[in-house]
Amino acid sequence: MSSRFNGRATIRWLPELVLLILLLVLPWIAPYLGGTLDLLTRILIWGLMGLGFDLLFGYTGLLSFGQSAFYGTGGFVTAYLLTGHVLGSVWLALLIGTVFAALVGMLVGYLALRRVGIYFAMITLAFGQMAYFLENSPLAHWTGGENGLPGIPSPSLTLGGLHVTLSSGLSMYALIGVLFFLGFLFARRVVASPVGAVMLAIRDNTKRAAALGHAVSRYKLAVFVLASLYAGLAGGLLGIFQSYMPPDSFSLGTSGQLVVQSVMGGVGTLIGPTVGATVWLYLRNAFQALPVVGDLWKFLLGLVFVVLVTAFRLGIAGTVRQYLGGRARRGEAAAKPAEGGEHITGDAAAVELVMTAPPPLKPEAVALEAHELSRRFGGLLAVDQVSLQVATGSLHAVIGPNGAGKSTLFKMLAGEEVPTGGEFYMHGQRLTGLGVERICQLGLSKSYQINQLFPRLTVRQNLRIAALARRRGPFRLDMLRRADSLDEVEEQIERIMQKASLRARADAPVGVLAYGEKRRLEIGLALTSGPNVLLLDEPLAGMSPAERSETKDWIRELREGRTLLIVEHDMDAIFELADRITVLSNGAKLAEGTPEEIQRHEEVQNSYLGGLHANEPA
Amino acid sequence: MPSLSTLLSQGFNGLILGALLALVSSGLTIILGTLGVLNFAHGALFMLGAYTAYVVLGHTGSYVLAVLAGCAFLAVVGLVLERGLIQYYYDRNEEDQILVTYGLGIMIVEAVRFFFGGNSQQVSVPGWGEGIVSIGSLIYPLYRVQAVVIIAVTLLALYLLLYRTRIGLVVRAGIEDTVMVSMLGINARRTFLLVFALGAAAAGFAGVVYAPIISVNPDMGGSFLVDSFVVIVIGGLGSFPGAVVGGLAAGEIISLTSAFNAAYSDVMLFVVMAAVLVLRPQGLFGVEGRQ
Amino acid sequence: MTEFDSDEGQGVTRRDFLKIGAGAAAGIMLPSLWAPAALAAEKHQALGTYPAGVGRHSVFVGITVPLTGSYSASGKDLRRGYELAIEQINAGHDIARRWGMHGKGVLGKQIEYDVADSQTKPNPAVQAQTKFINQKKALMITGSVSSATAIALEKLAQREHVLNMVGASGSNDTTGKDCQRYGFRSQPPAYMVAQGLAPVLAKEMGKQVKAAYLVPDYTYGHSVFDSVSKATEALGWKTVSKQLVPLGTTDFSSALINIANSGADVFVNVAFGNDAVASSKQAQQFGILKKMKLVVPNISPFQYKEAGSDIMEGAYGTMDFWWGLEDRYPLAKDFVQAFEAKHNYKPRWTANIGYMQTYIWALAVQRAGTFYPVSVIKELESGHKVDSTLGEVWYSDYDHQLVRPVPVVRGKSSAQMKGKEDYYEVVGVVSGEKAMVPKGTFGCELGPYT
Repeated sequence: MSSRFNGRATIRWLPELVLLILLLVLPWIAPYLGGTLDLLTRILIWGLMGLGFDLLFGYTGLLSFGQSAFYGTGGFVTAYLLTGHVLGSVWLALLIGTVFAALVGMLVGYLALRRVGIYFAMITLAFGQMAYFLENSPLAHWTGGENGLPGIPSPSLTLGGLHVTLSSGLSMYALIGVLFFLGFLFARRVVASPVGAVMLAIRDNTKRAAALGHAVSRYKLAVFVLASLYAGLAGGLLGIFQSYMPPDSFSLGTSGQLVVQSVMGGVGTLIGPTVGATVWLYLRNAFQALPVVGDLWKFLLGLVFVVLVTAFRLGIAGTVRQYLGGRARRGEAAAKPAEGGEHITGDAAAVELVMTAPPPLKPEAVALEAHELSRRFGGLLAVDQVSLQVATGSLHAVIGPNGAGKSTLFKMLAGEEVPTGGEFYMHGQRLTGLGVERICQLGLSKSYQINQLFPRLTVRQNLRIAALARRRGPFRLDMLRRADSLDEVEEQIERIMQKASLRARADAPVGVLAYGEKRRLEIGLALTSGPNVLLLDEPLAGMSPAERSETKDWIRELREGRTLLIVEHDMDAIFELADRITVLSNGAKLAEGTPEEIQRHEEVQNSYLGGLHANEPA
Repeated sequence: MPSLSTLLSQGFNGLILGALLALVSSGLTIILGTLGVLNFAHGALFMLGAYTAYVVLGHTGSYVLAVLAGCAFLAVVGLVLERGLIQYYYDRNEEDQILVTYGLGIMIVEAVRFFFGGNSQQVSVPGWGEGIVSIGSLIYPLYRVQAVVIIAVTLLALYLLLYRTRIGLVVRAGIEDTVMVSMLGINARRTFLLVFALGAAAAGFAGVVYAPIISVNPDMGGSFLVDSFVVIVIGGLGSFPGAVVGGLAAGEIISLTSAFNAAYSDVMLFVVMAAVLVLRPQGLFGVEGRQ
Repeated sequence: MTEFDSDEGQGVTRRDFLKIGAGAAAGIMLPSLWAPAALAAEKHQALGTYPAGVGRHSVFVGITVPLTGSYSASGKDLRRGYELAIEQINAGHDIARRWGMHGKGVLGKQIEYDVADSQTKPNPAVQAQTKFINQKKALMITGSVSSATAIALEKLAQREHVLNMVGASGSNDTTGKDCQRYGFRSQPPAYMVAQGLAPVLAKEMGKQVKAAYLVPDYTYGHSVFDSVSKATEALGWKTVSKQLVPLGTTDFSSALINIANSGADVFVNVAFGNDAVASSKQAQQFGILKKMKLVVPNISPFQYKEAGSDIMEGAYGTMDFWWGLEDRYPLAKDFVQAFEAKHNYKPRWTANIGYMQTYIWALAVQRAGTFYPVSVIKELESGHKVDSTLGEVWYSDYDHQLVRPVPVVRGKSSAQMKGKEDYYEVVGVVSGEKAMVPKGTFGCELGPYT
C-alpha cells in the first residue's frame, strides 16, 4: 500500500490496479482454491462494510461495535421498499436504503461521539443492540421480525436495447465487485485527502489535532456517517444478493464479526477487512469440516483472534505493508544518523512564513490580557485571580516554583481548561470558554512541555496537519483532493522546516527523531498555525546546553512579527530573553516586572530564586 | 393503563433485576475505572458463575458451597486472565484491550458450550428459598426476595471494602489516577490483579445467585453485558455508586416499561442512555471532564 | 467425458467452467450438452441442480441444523434422524425395505450429505445451503429448527428449483402465506396442533375455562396463540390474558406476574426450547403452577428432561412424535429401536422429522423413477399414502402440508414413569384428516413448478 507519502507517484495507483486484476481474475481461480462465486460475493459485501469501518477505526481510531445497526437499516429499508411494493426500481430502493442508513448514522454518531474511547465503543454497542430489538418486535410489521424479509427481487439494467437481469452468479458478483471497487477508490481518495490527514491526526493525538485548530468532533461525525453509508450500502446489497434480508444482520454477532475480521486482516489498510473476511469465512468452513474440531470452530476462531491481537496486532495486510514499507525505509534511515541532528543555521531567521496569522483586529498595544483568572479543582485553588498583560511584540515570561499554577494558567489561555473565574482577551476579543480549536483559529497557539506530536506520521505530515487547519479553517469536507495539493500549505511546511532546521528529516517518522529534533518539531507545529500569540511551555526542557543555546537564539528570532509568552525554569535564559516577567507562587501573582526588577525582588528571591535565607523550601 | 397492583409488582420485580445489574456493573466498573480495561468477557464470567452453581449444587446440594465455589473459581479465573493476558495490555491502547477481552469472551462461551452442551440446565432453588411471599395482592417467589437481600448485603460489603479499608482506598485512588498511585510506592500491579479478581468474583457471585432464577445456558451472559454497559454510561465511569444507582434505575426502567408494553422494555433502557448522553454525558455520578 | 461426482474437494469440471463462463449459476438453465452416458435415462430438461447433481453413484443432500446457539440440542437430534435414515437407505437395510425402498440407496444412488451449522439463525443456513446447491449440486435441501429459517430456505429452494423437505417448523406461515411449490413440511403447524389439542383439553378440563397465554413475540408465537386461542374459544374457553415477551427474554417475571394476577385456570405456555423451560420454571416459582394447569401446545424435544417432573407432571401438549407411539406404528418401533441402539436415548420428535422426511422424499423419488424435481413434486402431491412412523401420511396438494396424526400427550409423574424416558402418556391421537388445515386458510399460493 505505498502512497504519495513515499514520494513515488507512479506507485500511487498500484493498489487500485492490483485490486482490479484480482477482482477480474478470482472468479476463474477460486474454484481451484475451494471457493465459490457465492463465497467471493459475500466476502466483498463484508469488505464493503469493512471499508467504512476501517476509515472509522483504522484511520480515525474510533472503535465501533455497532455497525450492524446501519448494515441492517440499509438492508431492511431497501428490502422493505421492494418487498412491500413501495418502489419498483431496485436501484432507487438501494439508494434510499443507503441514505437512510447514513441518516441513522448521523443521529447515532451525534450521540455516541459525545464520549471517546471505551465509552464510545460501549455506546455504539448499545445502539446496535437497540436497533436489533427494534427490528425484532416493535417494527416487526415492516421488518418481518425474526423471519426477516424474503423475496427481494433482482435488479435489472437496461443498456441501450439490452435488458439484463442480475441474478445470482457472475452477474451479481460483477455488480457487487464494481460497487466494491468504486467504494475502494473513494476510500483511497478520502485517505489521501486533507480529511484523511486530519483523521490520522485524530487517531494519533486527538487533543493536539484540536489544539491545532481542527474541529475534531465534526470530522469524527463525518467519518462516522461515511462508515454508516458503506455499511448501509453493504446491507442493501446483501438483501439483493440473497433475495433475503436476515434479521441477524442487526445482531451484535454481526458487529463483532466485522471487528474481528478487520483486526485479523489488518486495520488501517482499507483492504484488511476484506482479507480478514476471506480468512474468517474460509477458516470457518475449514474448521467445521474437520472432524476433530467440528462444533469448536468458533472457539478456535476466537483463539486465533486473541493470538493475532496479542502478537500480530497489525493483522495480515498490515504486516505485509509494514514489511514492504520497511524495506524501502531502511535505506533512507541508514543514510541519516540520528544523533542530535541538524543544527539551527543563521539562515532560518530570514525566512518569512507564507501564511501569517489573521491580522489583529485592532493594532493594540496589549496582545493578550488575562483578568483575574482562577481555576479551582474541588478544594484546590490552582490559579488564584491572576491578571497579566502581554504587550504586543514582547516576550513575556511566567516563572514560579513547581505547583505555582503556571501550567494551569497556560492551559486556560490555550483553551484546554475553562477558568472557574475571570476572563482573558486577545487583541480585545474575549477568548474565555471558546475552546482550543477556536482559539487556535483566532491566532493563539501553544507548544507543549511534553511533546504532543503525531507519532505515526512523518515530520512533513505532522506539520501539514497544522498548516491544513490554518488554510482550510476548522472544518472542510474536501475528500477528493490530495492532502498535498494545496501549494500554500506545502510552502508553509517547507518554510517551517527551514526555520526549524528539519528539512533533512522531512520524511522521517517522528519515532526516529532525536529529542532535540522532536522539540523543534513541537514548536514548529505551534508555529505552523501562524499564531499572533505563541505560548511556549518550557521549550528548553530536557535540552543539553548546546541545544539550549541554539533554541534560545531561535526563540529570539521567533519574536519577529508575533508575541511570545513563555513558561520556563531556566532562569538564565529567561533573564536573557524576556522583556517582562510574571512570577507566580501558590497560584497567585507574586511579582511582575522587568528582569532586573524581578532579580532584585526580595520575596521572589526568597520563595524561588534561593535568596539569602536559603533554608526556605524551594 | 396497567393496574396499580401490576405496577407495584413490576416495580418490585425491577428491584431484583436492578440489584443484579448493580452487582454485575460494579464489578465491571471497578475494573474499568482502575485498570482502564473494558472487560467484554464480563458477561461470560457471569455465566461461568452460574455454571459453577449448576455443578456444585448438582453434586453437593449446598448453596453456601456453591457461592463460595463460584467466588473462588471466578477469582482464580480472573487472576489467570489478568496475569496471563490482560497485564500485557496495560501499555497498549484501550481499543486493543476491548478486542482481546471480546475474543476471550467468545472463547469462554464456546468452551462452556462444548463441555456442557447448548441447551439450558436447571439449577434448583435452595430449600429455604422455595415458596412464595404474599404482600397483599402481590405474590413473589421467596427466593427472589432473598436474592435481593443477598445482593444488597454483598453490595454493602463491597462498599465497605472500597470506602472503609486501606486496600479500597488504594483502588479508588487508582481509579482517580493510576500513575500517581504507583508513584506513591504502592504496588500497582498487585492492586490491578486484586481488582480484576474482585471484579470477576463479583460477576461470578451474581451468576451463582441468579442461576436458580433463570435458565443456565452458555449464551446467558450476553444481555447482561450489554445492559451493564448501559448502566455504566448512565451511572458514570468508574463510579461504584453510579453502578449501584444506575443498575437499580435500569432494572426499574426495564420492568416498569414491560408493564405497558413488553416489546419496548429493552429499547426504553437505550433511550434513557441516549438521553443521559445528551443531557449529562459524564453520567449521573461521573466526574466532569473525565473521558 | 467428464462426469460429475459430488465428492468432497472436487475441482472444476468442464461443465462448471462453461457455466461460470456463461454467467450462469444455479438459476439459469443450460442444456447439458455433455450428459454422461450413464444419465442417458434422464429424459427431462435441466432444472435447478438436475441432472448435474445426479452422479454416477451418488446424489447429494444438503442439511443445515443448529449445532450452536439456543436450539442446538434439537439440532443435534434432528441431524441424527437424518443420518439414521440415510444410513438405512444407503445400506438397503431391512427397515428401509419395510418403508418400501428397493435395493441400496435411492434409484441405485447412494445418498451423500453434509451437515452445516445454522447457528440457530436463518442467514447461516441460507448461506450454507446456497453453497450446497452451487458447489455440491444438492438435489434436496433440508433442515432447520425454526420457522424463520424454514421460510428462508423455502424461498431459496423455490428460486433455485431444488426440493426442500422442511425440517422443524411449527408456524402456520410455512405452508400458509409463505408456502412454496418446492417446499414440503411434515410437522403439524399451529392450526393442526390447536385442532388436536382443543378437544382433548375441553374433555379433560371442561368448557368454561379461563386461559392465560405466554406468547413469544415472533411469528411462530403469534401463530400458535392465534390458532390455539381460536380453537379453544370455539369450545367455550375464555382467553383472559395474553402476555407478549420479546425475543431473547430470559427473565419472564414481568409477564408471569401479570399471568399470576389474571385469575386464569390454565397457563398456556407458547414458548419454545430453552425459553419454554425457563419460563415454566419461573412460573412454578411464582406459584402459578399451583393455581393453574400447564398447557404447552408444542412441547419442545427435551422439555421434560430439562424442566423436570415437578413442572411437567400433568402438563398437556402435542408433539410431532413421541416414542410412546411405537406400539401403534410398527415403523415407529423400528425407528425407536434403531435410534436408541445407536445413540443410547430415545429419539425425540426432531429426530423423527429428519428420519421421516428423508424416507418420504426417497420414496417419492423412487416412485417417480427420476430425480427431476417437477416429477418428484408431482409424486409428493399425488396423495399417495406412505406408511410411516406415524401411520399413513400424505402431502396435501394445495399447501404441501403433511396430512398426519397429531399426538396429544400429558406429562407423567415420576411415580408413573415405567422407564428412564417414559415422560408422557399419549392421551389422544387426532387423525390427520380431522386436524388438517382447510384449503386457503392461511393464504397459501403455491408457486410455479419451473
